[in-house]
Amino acid sequence: MKLHLPPRVSPKQFQSAMTAFAGVVGKDWVMDSDADRDAYADTYAPGSTEEWPASAAIAPASVDEVRAIVRLANEHKVPLWPVARGKNLGYGTAAPRMEGTVVMDLGRMNKVLELDSTLAYCVVEPGVGFYDLYDKIQREKAPLWLSVPGNAWGSVLGNALEHGIGYTSYGLHARNLCGIEAVLPDGDLVRTGMGAMNNNPAFHLFPMSYGPTWDLAFSQSNLGIVTKAGVWLQPAPETSLEIVWDIPKAEDIGWVIDTITPLKISGLIDQNVFIPSWLGKMVLKGQRKDFWDKPSAIPDWRVEELLKEHKLGYWQVALRLYGEEPVVKARAEVVKAAMKRNLAAAPQENWWRQGDPIGQYDTTMGVPSAVPLQMSDWIGGRGAHMGFSPVVPATGKHVLDQMARSRKIIADFDVDFYASFTIGGRFANNVNMLMYDRDNAEEVTKMRKLFDALIIETAKAGYAEYRTHLGWMDPVMETFDFNNHALRRFDEKVKSALDPNGIIAPGKQGVWPAAYADKRGSAYKGGQ
Amino acid sequence: MKRIVIVAALVAMGAAAYAAPPAGGPPPMPPYMLRPLAPEGDRLKPGRDGKTVFEAQCGYCHLVGGMGTNLLTKQQMMAGNPPEKGLLSNRDDLTRDYVKAVVRMGKGAMPQQTKVDLTDAELDAVAAYLGKAG
Repeated sequence: MKLHLPPRVSPKQFQSAMTAFAGVVGKDWVMDSDADRDAYADTYAPGSTEEWPASAAIAPASVDEVRAIVRLANEHKVPLWPVARGKNLGYGTAAPRMEGTVVMDLGRMNKVLELDSTLAYCVVEPGVGFYDLYDKIQREKAPLWLSVPGNAWGSVLGNALEHGIGYTSYGLHARNLCGIEAVLPDGDLVRTGMGAMNNNPAFHLFPMSYGPTWDLAFSQSNLGIVTKAGVWLQPAPETSLEIVWDIPKAEDIGWVIDTITPLKISGLIDQNVFIPSWLGKMVLKGQRKDFWDKPSAIPDWRVEELLKEHKLGYWQVALRLYGEEPVVKARAEVVKAAMKRNLAAAPQENWWRQGDPIGQYDTTMGVPSAVPLQMSDWIGGRGAHMGFSPVVPATGKHVLDQMARSRKIIADFDVDFYASFTIGGRFANNVNMLMYDRDNAEEVTKMRKLFDALIIETAKAGYAEYRTHLGWMDPVMETFDFNNHALRRFDEKVKSALDPNGIIAPGKQGVWPAAYADKRGSAYKGGQ
Repeated sequence: MKRIVIVAALVAMGAAAYAAPPAGGPPPMPPYMLRPLAPEGDRLKPGRDGKTVFEAQCGYCHLVGGMGTNLLTKQQMMAGNPPEKGLLSNRDDLTRDYVKAVVRMGKGAMPQQTKVDLTDAELDAVAAYLGKAG
């Protein structure tokens, strides 16, 4: 990819910034060739990667190096886009929101600094991936479990900071963060919570600060660069029981939600309950053309046939309970009795006990896997995906309403409907997966228009996304309209005060520093 | 149809790798593949241990049961090759340059890898390890 300079930075200024950065990290870790820029491009870009082009990437190895680079970036007015491991697939990968921003790749900062089995937490740097942490736990035979996202190739901290979700009792990953160390836009270094005191052993145990609590202000944020954080982990349970129901009809999701949510809120179910539709299973069975050989959406009659042929329900609930066996058994009876009120068929039950092997794809037991990315092969070619991810109240009424709306919009665009709902408590995350071939320009254009329509229509109905791709960060922020966008005003007031040069991640989540306010809405014009 | 048979074969392969599924237990699947620690020393210096680097850095997807292995096994079987060829370490038709190009450019479902994922020195070592065809 050719060089796109940051706004108002001349080639000469840019070059002198690169030289200054190399003085901190060494020239090998300043990556500014055309090939390097390609390496940091959005691998699933819906369109040209040049819409979100990095000018270079730089990879510091320590907090001191991060601080030094931030100071130099201020001096040279060169903005930085920090990424933990840069694997935010479906949301922009490592690419920056604003053209010419230098990716700060924290992947070399990959130490597990603490692993505490007694109080069940770890302290990690941003470059630690789910696999790295899982391997460390296995090697040390620590009685701890992770919570992993669908694709676990990425960073533990990066995923939590981006509000990623997993499928265990610790599935709301941002909630597991406790005690953060961050480099501020002026190069200062802050520790939150009890960590604000030197050598306080409760740094990663007590989740609040004395005074305002800033931990989550560093999530989906451009207020600082997180250089380490505590992450709470699940103690390895004595046993676990997976109970699997195939749910026949799309509309059944209503009673399923109304059955599970109260049990989740009461604490009887502690897992984040993931409910994928049939297509989630199908994408691992072959390619789309094996099951439907036309470009048009798979029609309902063919869906019916496929469900029969492959003995699938429209949805599958694979609920998992964790704990001592008598407790799990008692909980299971309550859950089964509740489900039986609407579904006579007995569920499949899979017990696991300490010492039993754990399979490679058991994500609900915290095993990291990248296998869900196989869905890229479903469409073929350079397969890619984007997730449209609104949050709805976890009641049947809201979920059915949301499903009907997305389903109709997606059908109007003649695209396959691939939805999942994850019950996280009083809310459900609805992910509508849109799969496309990056090299099919017509299809990409259609997906972009569809994405625009989904955001607008869903917002009209009163729901918003919890996370989105670079190209829609401004449009989604625009939907948060209370008191004429008071949240964005507040975000930007804080941002501009802390970061007058707009050095850290300008435009992240639609929050623009005054220095780059003219860039709002730039680069992407919506559905074109 | 051929694909469906292949997928069934893949599941069976996975089952074989799964030591002893408990009676009435979960459906068989391959066990987790623990990766070796990345080699010590300067990641920028030549002479890295290609096999260890491969397993540590590419092992997310390219060990038994991984995303890359699953897709490549399917491709290899469609091409009439034995399923073991889905593991890159079993291939004898890869060249060093090809390995380097795929790693840096990506291919199909595989995203491109940065120099932080794999330095040029590490990529040289991995390419030497996998590139048995020269």
